Amino acid sequence: MNQISRRVPLVDGVAKVTGALRFTADLHVEGSLHGALVLSPRAHARVASIDATAALAVEGVHAVFWHENTPSRYYNSSIWFAGQEALADERMFPPVVRHIGDRVAAVVAETEEIARHAARLVVVEYVDLPAIFDPEAALVHAGPVMRDDGIPAFMNPVADESFTHGDLDAGFAAADLVVETHVTMPRSHHCAIEPHACIAKPEPDGRILILSPCQSVFAVQAVVVQALGVPQDQIRVVKTPIGGSFGGKAEPILDPLCAFFALALGRPVMIRYDRHETFTATRTRSSVVGRMRIALSSDGRILARDTETLVDIGAYCTGGNYLPSSMLQRLVRLYDVPAERYTGRAVYTNTVPAGAFRGYGSPQIHTIAEITLDISARRLGVDPVEMRLRNLIEPNAIEPWQGLNVGNARGRECLIRGADAFGWQGRRRADAGRGRWRRGAGVASATHINGCYPGFHEETTATLRLLPDGRAELVCALHDLGCGADTTLAQIAGETLGLRACDIAIVPADTDSCPYDLGTRASRMTYICGEAIRRAGIALAEAIRAAAVLELNTEASGLRLEAGAVRRPDGSGLALSDLAARLAARGEELPAATEIYRAQANPGSYAAHFAEVEVDRLTGRVRVTDYLAAHDVGRAINPMLVEGQIHGGIQIGIGYALYEDVAIDRVTGRMRGDSFSRYTLVNASEMPPMRVLLIEEGEPTGPFGAKAVGEIATIPVAAAVVNAVNDALGTELTDLPLVPERILAAVS
Amino acid sequence: MRMSLKVNGQAIETEISPISRLSGFLRDVLGLTGVKEGCCEGECGACTVLLDGQPVDSCLMLAFQATGREITTIEGLCGSGVNDLQQAFLKMGAVQCGYCTPGMVLAAEGLLHANPSPGEAEIRHALAGNICRCTGFETIVQAVATAAAARQGAER
Ligand code: FES
Ligand code: FES
Repeated sequence: MNQISRRVPLVDGVAKVTGALRFTADLHVEGSLHGALVLSPRAHARVASIDATAALAVEGVHAVFWHENTPSRYYNSSIWFAGQEALADERMFPPVVRHIGDRVAAVVAETEEIARHAARLVVVEYVDLPAIFDPEAALVHAGPVMRDDGIPAFMNPVADESFTHGDLDAGFAAADLVVETHVTMPRSHHCAIEPHACIAKPEPDGRILILSPCQSVFAVQAVVVQALGVPQDQIRVVKTPIGGSFGGKAEPILDPLCAFFALALGRPVMIRYDRHETFTATRTRSSVVGRMRIALSSDGRILARDTETLVDIGAYCTGGNYLPSSMLQRLVRLYDVPAERYTGRAVYTNTVPAGAFRGYGSPQIHTIAEITLDISARRLGVDPVEMRLRNLIEPNAIEPWQGLNVGNARGRECLIRGADAFGWQGRRRADAGRGRWRRGAGVASATHINGCYPGFHEETTATLRLLPDGRAELVCALHDLGCGADTTLAQIAGETLGLRACDIAIVPADTDSCPYDLGTRASRMTYICGEAIRRAGIALAEAIRAAAVLELNTEASGLRLEAGAVRRPDGSGLALSDLAARLAARGEELPAATEIYRAQANPGSYAAHFAEVEVDRLTGRVRVTDYLAAHDVGRAINPMLVEGQIHGGIQIGIGYALYEDVAIDRVTGRMRGDSFSRYTLVNASEMPPMRVLLIEEGEPTGPFGAKAVGEIATIPVAAAVVNAVNDALGTELTDLPLVPERILAAVS
Repeated sequence: MRMSLKVNGQAIETEISPISRLSGFLRDVLGLTGVKEGCCEGECGACTVLLDGQPVDSCLMLAFQATGREITTIEGLCGSGVNDLQQAFLKMGAVQCGYCTPGMVLAAEGLLHANPSPGEAEIRHALAGNICRCTGFETIVQAVATAAAARQGAER
């Protein structure tokens, strides 16, 4: 192995540390105009009139757009391929705004400054309508989501998922203990440091080129086509470097606007949001209220579980209708629960729409379940690690909902080895203290998926081609979100070809030149795209050997690819660049290979996290003092990047547990956490020391045994921290985040 | 109004608007897009530059306030090359999406300038105004500590 299990630095790292990498807002597009939005200050209102006279009178303003002069087509910004059925309820500029921050109008001008100035001069008259901010209250607003004429009705619920497995009544009847919890999860924001931005540019042939920091160029294309009603081949999308996404840039928000403005004005148009707009006018994690009832035997076995979730998806559906079932999918793959009932509903409210966010429902459902399990363990007097070990799913178990095999599931090793390395026994037994400061330790387990199988088109196409300089080109519509996917996948390709990761030239995702791919979502990059690339690499290696037979005058089977050369068994051979030159001289095409890989499985990734906290009973402040994360990753293609994912996941998870909440006021609908000064992010001083333990037992269906890590890294964190706080204080806190006021209320 | 200043070692004289932010001036007028903007309210540190060797949030300064001062942006740190600190960032995985990185590197340079052998807590404290949403800061702190130790060693 020359590339696998190596700590290879990012292939695009030098451009990043030198500041040479150009993000979207850094691009200079000749003749570009700039857009600025007018966002609604009302939570639910009819836009009665818009007077753009003053804005249009500003020198340098080209146009003002609102609902009367833009397409009135409904679309759904979460679709990922053309024609995908989804509840289309969003408009470029709706005549009725549905949340504070909804799009009312936009000004396009010579500079961003002029556009922003003129946007403040647009006079809007609103007629307020009743608004709903509370998801429980939203349930009362019941009815079909769509009217007969295809106009969205915005009634609830948007999704209603239920599932039953086994004999629930028997489970509860046999229980030695029944525990019931009510857990609330906040709306957290992605807070990628790069705010949203997009550029659309008219091309000489009448097409529109969109430059977008996105998670799927094909999703952007599909959404823009749906919103504008233009033919698909009129829209070309190229992915730009992305300054963090975490799901926040999964849905095209600015893209339809930029594309329409560029089309209407015949000039390139850039829009970049500021931080406040990124908070109020993009997406958040959905907030969830969970009720769980769990039946246990005295030795800590789960006999039955009954879960109810209510998901607040905000003003527009986007992908929110999938959340209840996504949560169910992840819930049933962690423990072996003989009887299970699940009901999940998603409802509209007049708040900023929820969307994808690292884990897509997994952090919510596992937090609910893991806090509940911990409270149960304490009430039973069973050690929380021991209790989890008694219930964990075994490798190759079949989960009860979709009947999928969970693969080489190593949740058990994560718990056992993690507990050992963390010194769990000693810490858990240690005295919490008596005075102002209390110490506690907490644990949580989690699982997550690998790709979309058995859902939509879980397949991808990878092409690898020998380049004249002896490197290889990779075409696979890859969207690195900054996690290092390009590097990991280049390592996989390099491994098969005897090349280094930096010898793999990755073609940026482009709807014109790349075959369709679902994009970066559902923890599928390494597991799905990686396997397609591994197979394409093996096929290319084969083709290179075959092409070298004539040159090296030997049989293909005796040749091997190594260090940029094709070699005979005795080590003599030919550099790939020389081979390419000779083939070119003979007028032969350079070897290439394409593989279409269709997933046949969706194994689980597993993890166990351990947190130690110190709680200040006087101020209510919680400090995470030590942290250990054990992860079943199958195999770490690049341990440094895997650890990096886990470190970053812990950071987001600690924020989720302790601070992060956009805090929408239940009376006014206003977001309180709408800037970095009012939304607390964990900084360098607040992060605990972190240790990462990788369990590498190999997943037979993954490339070189690898499984996903990006999303699961953040899933168990909040529960581990909350469980540690409950241990420290002897409380049963279940409302997140554990801000000082909540801690103080609990200890007083 | 007219102003003169030094940016990345070069003397510059230019006409500026009295209300333009330093970060905007560096990015839009001088084309130094290694200066990032993440919040424009002094909370994220993505716009960090060195002002006479000291890290500052360039979004919080008006451009004219830099009159007569010397500014270093990431572009001026080591030309198109990579210095030891940047190398440590790469090798230790202290970079993910890279959006915070220029500001982070400059904040760390500012620290090492003022305090050549900082302890871990001092590093964390010095970087507390620079938010990274990807790395959990762990490898960033390690990279800074490693570069500091190497620089100290090289001096001995
Ligand atoms: S952009 Fe200056 S601190 Fe965030
Ligand atoms: S590397 Fe992405 S914000 Fe720091």
